[in-house]
Amino acid sequence: MRVPLSTDPPPLSGWMNNRPLFRWVGVIYAALKRRWLSSLKLRTMTFTGVITGIAILVSGTYLQFSIGNDLFNTRKQQVLEDSSRASKSAQRLLDASDAADGVSLSSLTKTMRGDVRETSSSQMIALLRVPGQKFSLDAPQNQGSEGLPISVISDDLINKVNAGENSQYWQSVTLQNQDGSSSAGIIVGSQLTFPGSGGKYGLYIAYSLSDAEQTLSYVQRTLLLTGFFLMLLLGMLVWVIVRLVFRPISVAAETSRRLAAGETDVRMPNQGDESFDLLSQSFNEMADSLENRINELAELSTMQQRFVSDVSHELRTPLTTIRLAGDVLYAQRDNLDAAGHRTTELLHTQIGRFERLLTDLLEISRYDAGSVTLETEPTNLVRIVEEAVDGLQSLADAAGISIRVIAKGGYLDAELDPRRVRRIIHNLLGNAIEHGEAQPVIVMIDSHETAIGITVRDFGVGMTEDDTQRVFDRFWRADPSRKRTIGGTGLGLAISLEDASSQGGWLDVWSEPGKGSCFRLTLPRKQDVPIGHSPLVLEPPLDESMEDALRALDRQDEGGAS
Amino acid sequence: MDIMNPSILVVDDDTALSEMIGIVLQGEGYDTVFCSDGNKALDAFRESRPDLVLLDVMLPGLDGIEICQLLRLESGVPIIMLTAKTDTTDVVRGLEAGADDYVVKPFNPVELVARIRTRLRPASVEVSDEVRVGDLTLDVVGHEVRRGNERINLTPLEFNLLLTLASKPQQVFSREALLERVWGYQYKADTRLVNVHVQRLRAKVEKDPDQPIIVTTVRGIGYRAGAVVD
Repeated sequence: MRVPLSTDPPPLSGWMNNRPLFRWVGVIYAALKRRWLSSLKLRTMTFTGVITGIAILVSGTYLQFSIGNDLFNTRKQQVLEDSSRASKSAQRLLDASDAADGVSLSSLTKTMRGDVRETSSSQMIALLRVPGQKFSLDAPQNQGSEGLPISVISDDLINKVNAGENSQYWQSVTLQNQDGSSSAGIIVGSQLTFPGSGGKYGLYIAYSLSDAEQTLSYVQRTLLLTGFFLMLLLGMLVWVIVRLVFRPISVAAETSRRLAAGETDVRMPNQGDESFDLLSQSFNEMADSLENRINELAELSTMQQRFVSDVSHELRTPLTTIRLAGDVLYAQRDNLDAAGHRTTELLHTQIGRFERLLTDLLEISRYDAGSVTLETEPTNLVRIVEEAVDGLQSLADAAGISIRVIAKGGYLDAELDPRRVRRIIHNLLGNAIEHGEAQPVIVMIDSHETAIGITVRDFGVGMTEDDTQRVFDRFWRADPSRKRTIGGTGLGLAISLEDASSQGGWLDVWSEPGKGSCFRLTLPRKQDVPIGHSPLVLEPPLDESMEDALRALDRQDEGGAS
Repeated sequence: MDIMNPSILVVDDDTALSEMIGIVLQGEGYDTVFCSDGNKALDAFRESRPDLVLLDVMLPGLDGIEICQLLRLESGVPIIMLTAKTDTTDVVRGLEAGADDYVVKPFNPVELVARIRTRLRPASVEVSDEVRVGDLTLDVVGHEVRRGNERINLTPLEFNLLLTLASKPQQVFSREALLERVWGYQYKADTRLVNVHVQRLRAKVEKDPDQPIIVTTVRGIGYRAGAVVD
């Protein structure tokens, strides 16, 4: 069962899959979501950013609103005072006049307008006769002024002015400036009474609020800029704080990672915070005990190694004596009687077996102790196989087995431990000869850029599936009742498996009862480059008989020769 | 008057094994001297002046490797180590200390005798009396190497190795070929023997062992003798 390294993005709804753009959006969304869910830092910074942003926005808006309001009210107050003064001054002027005919009324109006302009400090003045009075030809015409056309004044204001007697009325408007731009303004209206047949008029003075508007827009700009810098500053502040808060966690994570990677001497520094220091302390205690444990184990392993080495020496010396003695006796066996002859023969073969067993046992215990060191050198696999075949030729001949070696590749040197490779191949060939049932054995060698491989195929009795799973177990034999010709120790394949994996290689097996077995060794060309896939196929084609396989080989040979 | 038998000093603390080795060697016509204590090995050597030393690695007192180093200070006598360990470090340490060859326990009599015979047999290279390599002159009959008037002390094995290379200066010798010619191994053996002894030889004959010109390495193939320099 494979454990996925990362969770897949959630399935997207159907319509999103239809178009590449949506798919991209979906992918980006999924990536962002993953990042969001996996990073507390990101979430903290986002939340803080959004909340402070809203706060700045709200307070900025309120500030702008209240400043604007205040500016408007102040200006309005001033405007009302100005216009009231102007209107009173104008009324006084009118009251003092005795103008009765149209010409004098007209000139009076002109004088009055000049006066209003002066006192109100506004150029925009309009004069509207209150309707419903007796018609008089002498009465001055309704007149606006540049910047204040009559149409701007709302009916509502006119009605109010017409109805009211002494008070002022005002209205907010949009005024057209001379340059075509528009600005906010206030129109203040009040009643004037003309002498003679003039009657009642509404005096309308407009004031531009463009000054206030400018001030307000300046305030707005300032607010915007301040808000922007405040956001920036806050962002930095949050970032710094988050870093500050998360730094101990990052340190802890990094330290754990290094510890996990095998650096047993790393420790977490104190962080200047109670909780984190407690964490550091516990972590460091854990690391200490871990390191001690590892050291203990290393010591045990060293002891084990020394023990193996001592046992090796202690057992080998007497065995050497026995071996020498046995061989001296064996050389003289022809001088002994039949029983003595056979005894020395048995002694001779069993000493050999004992020796192999001891060698294998020591080898496997060396693997168990982890005290195996590789001695890699550029190694030619084809040459090793040929040497191994030569070495086993007499044994194969005795078993009636012909060994066919087909080397499609493997001629280039690979970084291997030749002693171990030799041992594996010797072992596989030995097994094939022993279980080959006098049928040919096919050895295939091939390679690709990252790996070299060899298969050893026999057409013997084969094994059941249960057997193939146990074939690399120690002291396991496929069929205990079968006779042994080579007299293997039962450790051969177990050692071969260790030999292969110690070099980063694989050793696997295919077998079927009645069809024979195929062992495949795959080794990396360079120790630090992974194999990828094996250059050779382990399982033969279904229903392929030995004759088919051999014919195929013959065809290949012919093809290769031509 | 028979020819004197070659004598062999067996340094091993296991008396049973020593005795058994003695039986085997005497059966092959060698005289044997025994020593079971590392501290007494040098005295035994000086006293008996053997033609060859069989040296166990693990010994009480001085161990085999230390004895080997001390022996090399005063003699080029062939030394064969008896080792129970096939571990790299032990074998290489022994060879670096000056052992010519090694036999791994448990060995059989044929193997042991074959190793001893090779070491006792004189160099079989058929060449003239004098061979030159680089700025060195090899006196084949006198087993001497000279650079100008300066005599360089080589063990018989080192002399044999240099002579083998120098006798065919145009030929590159693979490690396997050298193992066969110099050590007498007919089958694939430990190429570390060659590597270590080439290093030892270079240390003695090269002016700069890091920039060898007498015994040069041909990468991926083996070694060859340097050209003659006048």
